Amino acid sequence: MKPLFQFFSSLKLTVVLLSFSLLLIFFGTLDQVQYGIWHTQELYFESFLVVWTFPEHAPLGQHLHWIRIPMPGGYLLGGMLLVNLLAAHLTRFKMSWTKCGIFLIHSGLILLLISELMTDILAVESQMPVDEGGSSNYSQGFRENELVFIDRSHPEHDSVHAIPASLLKPGKRIEVPNTPLSIRTLRYYGNAEIGRATSGSPTESIATRGAAVRMGIIVNPKPETYSEDEINTVAAFVEVLNGEDSQGIWLVSNVMDERFPPQMVDTGNRSFEIALRFTRHYYPFEIELIDFKHEKYPGTEVPYNFSSEVKVTHQDSTKNQKALIYMNHPLRYEGLTFFQASFANQDKTSIFQVVRNPGWLLPYLSVLLMGLGMCVQFGMHFFKFLSKQRR
Amino acid sequence: MKKIIYLIVYGIATLMILGGLRSSKVDSDFDLAAFAELPVQVGGRIKPLDSVARNTLLILSGRQKVVTDKGVTLSPIEWFIDLTMRPEVADTYPIFKIEFPDDLGLVGLAEQGQRYYSFNELLPFSEELRRLYGEINPAPELRSPYEKQIADINNGLMRYHRVMHSLHPVGGAERLDRLVDEYQSYLATIQPGMVELRKQQAGEEFDAALLKRFITFADDYLKLSTTAYLRVVPPPPPVDLLKDWKNIGLELLDVMKDDPLSPYVTSYASLTMAYRSGDAEQFNREVRELRERFVADFPGDISRVHYERVFNGLQPFYISMQLYVLIFLAVCISWLRWPKELAKAAFWVLVLTFLIHTFGLLSRMYIQGRPPITNLYSSAVFVGWGAVLLGIFIEKFFKNGIGAAMASLVGFCTLIIAHHLAMTGDTLEMMRAVLDSNFWLATHVVIITFGYSAIFLAGALAILFVLLGVFSSRFNKDTARSLSAMVYGIICFGTLFSLVGTILGGIWADQSWGRFWGWDAKENGALMIVIMGAIYLHARWGGICKDRGLMALAIWGNIITAWSWFGTNMLPVGLHSYGRMDSAYAWLIGFVLVQLVLTATALLPWRFWRSEFGQANYRKEKKRSLIAAEDAKA
Repeated sequence: MKPLFQFFSSLKLTVVLLSFSLLLIFFGTLDQVQYGIWHTQELYFESFLVVWTFPEHAPLGQHLHWIRIPMPGGYLLGGMLLVNLLAAHLTRFKMSWTKCGIFLIHSGLILLLISELMTDILAVESQMPVDEGGSSNYSQGFRENELVFIDRSHPEHDSVHAIPASLLKPGKRIEVPNTPLSIRTLRYYGNAEIGRATSGSPTESIATRGAAVRMGIIVNPKPETYSEDEINTVAAFVEVLNGEDSQGIWLVSNVMDERFPPQMVDTGNRSFEIALRFTRHYYPFEIELIDFKHEKYPGTEVPYNFSSEVKVTHQDSTKNQKALIYMNHPLRYEGLTFFQASFANQDKTSIFQVVRNPGWLLPYLSVLLMGLGMCVQFGMHFFKFLSKQRR
Repeated sequence: MKKIIYLIVYGIATLMILGGLRSSKVDSDFDLAAFAELPVQVGGRIKPLDSVARNTLLILSGRQKVVTDKGVTLSPIEWFIDLTMRPEVADTYPIFKIEFPDDLGLVGLAEQGQRYYSFNELLPFSEELRRLYGEINPAPELRSPYEKQIADINNGLMRYHRVMHSLHPVGGAERLDRLVDEYQSYLATIQPGMVELRKQQAGEEFDAALLKRFITFADDYLKLSTTAYLRVVPPPPPVDLLKDWKNIGLELLDVMKDDPLSPYVTSYASLTMAYRSGDAEQFNREVRELRERFVADFPGDISRVHYERVFNGLQPFYISMQLYVLIFLAVCISWLRWPKELAKAAFWVLVLTFLIHTFGLLSRMYIQGRPPITNLYSSAVFVGWGAVLLGIFIEKFFKNGIGAAMASLVGFCTLIIAHHLAMTGDTLEMMRAVLDSNFWLATHVVIITFGYSAIFLAGALAILFVLLGVFSSRFNKDTARSLSAMVYGIICFGTLFSLVGTILGGIWADQSWGRFWGWDAKENGALMIVIMGAIYLHARWGGICKDRGLMALAIWGNIITAWSWFGTNMLPVGLHSYGRMDSAYAWLIGFVLVQLVLTATALLPWRFWRSEFGQANYRKEKKRSLIAAEDAKA
């Protein structure tokens, strides 16, 4: 037991782990060129093991493409560092005033590691475009998709039954909650080109109902893109069953949006609209965009200010409020944060980034601890050094 | 003897400062200083023509002066006034810098040893240059050095042409000498011209000659409005600082919409005529009038514009650069002879240089109304400044010249880097909206850049340790110990600043994007510096590395910091767009290679260390292994 403790609490292990972190971050930065930021993040920092490959398109890529460097991933390193730290504090450190700086720094670090893990797991980011004069009560993910069945029979509201796209595995049968329906995914494409069939295009469509049949739409699979400014066109052929009766096969895709006629599934007494779309998050309030401003420095195209004047109308009217959202000044509301992210439509549409991150305060706390600890620690060193110099 | 040494060092320093100041003086009957201060709106702010002249010249020539074919040296504003008012003369000045003229394959252009070419020399090849330009890679970051050179010449010619047309329409002497008349006859033509135009559109009878004259004016000014580079015409009062200024062509066109012609336009025309006819008195009167009008319209800006012109002339960073060399040399000599006097003199010159450097930094802050670091250029200026500040502290405590020497080395190198970064244009540019936060610019950016200063200074000290330890026989235990303490102290400092800066950056990111940490390249770079510092500190505290290992780690700090500072900026964005091999990239690789060699040197076994310190360690090591062998035997 003791040697094991010794191993886990040793400073040597700290240095080794830190060196690996350096390596991981370096290659995790390089690979962003290939995989974009999101995918790299998953590969390097939200993993246990990662293998770096010399990129084919870099200089000398053809000759060096065989080079592979395996290294521990972010979860493994972060976890080990955490264990190392805790073990060191349990065994080696005696609480004393001279060590309190180090103690503060380390507890700040522990908190930071935990908060990063929390953010990874719990934080949800989405976007909410709002037109000037218009309003919105939901935001949209930009990478996740969902398959929805919408019941529009109620005069005042629609009911939406959603299945995350990550569950659409070919062959698997899934019940649609609160409906008599179930679905079976026949084919699923992470990214595809969707278009009208032309003569001679290498095509097949297994759809038997819906827009794909009416308009002759076909699907050509494409490799998934990781670029930040491109989206993946997700598509699937889905068989809808009512009990054990097949209702037919529909093609659904996140590019077949409002511009397309809705695809309907009838079950005799009820009818549902079926669609695949970017995951929506609905809120009990509406955000109305009163005015969007996009100012530039005089005589240039360099943006000087973006700002959105909004009015929030909550179902609980005591929570109504007005706000001005602009650069570096988000609106924090109901556990969500609204940031001025972008704009479109000749400055008539403002796009907000909507973030739900329950742990957003933790980094601030850890920063305080670490900053304080550093000041104490190095301050003590410095004064010791000064008094030594004087003597 | 002592006094003479002080005198020599201080004398040289004074000469350097005076030399820097003198070079900005211009002798002329024309009040060029006042002309240099006339306002223009560029990149979202009002600045003096002097700044435009300097930046344009930097881009075209890579320097802030013109040497004519007759060997006369012109200041930027002298060149600028000739370019706009006597283009026929300016066309003979060799100002286009072509590093490798032979490579262009233009028969008859390249002259042995000639790097600067005039517009007239390039004119016969303009067709050919345009053709070559059409054939090169359209993506700038993928161009080869040859293609880059062609692009540079073409862009340079374009800029030259556009800047030339900034103050008035350009033509032959007969047009430039009669600009005021031209505007008058244009103004007189507008009213009747419009009438004739309407008649023509209505299908009625019209005066073809009059209409033609009117349309010729309109066409010409329309072309001018797309060519003229500078916005020199402010909107009529009352002043709105967020309003666009117009260029000459646009202002002339807008007169057709019943706007009155701005007096700035006519003033520039009279200025040109006075300059061309050599009438200094008239010129100075016009300049004064223009200036007074600007003062009246923009009372809040005149002092800043004036200051910027003066600041341009003083060139504090250029003077600092020279003084840093002097300090470095003085300290190096001090290690051979007169150690006390030279070290002391070097220290005071370092303090003086630091003040000059600080003056430059503060001036830029005042002109821009911003915290010190707003772009890569200003970060380079600041890194040097921070390193010198730390160096002064070290020198004050250790008094052995080491701090001064390494601080001046870092100061000099970063100013050289800044000088090369300035070649791309205005270094006082406006901040994009997302960066527009003086609070975060002042805290996060300043702190993190100060961290760079510290790590670079520690790296430089470590390099000195290794070089002296391996090659100099006089390097002893005491020097080694004090150097080691310096490196440790500075790295503590650097780690603290990098960590705090990185964390503040996280908070800023959380405030503006809702993401404390996004694994963005620049963020990662900063984190790597923090981790490097942590590795060094833990290795030292845990006794895992001793002198050599710690110095190797400190030198590695240089690599990591250079990566964080420049490397991350060079990463191509988007998929598969590698291959950006511009000169900065090559410099970075060169720097890293040198650091690797130095690291390897640091790790040489004690046996190869020629210094007293190294040999002592070698003997200790040998003794220890002998004892171990004895023990094993027993």
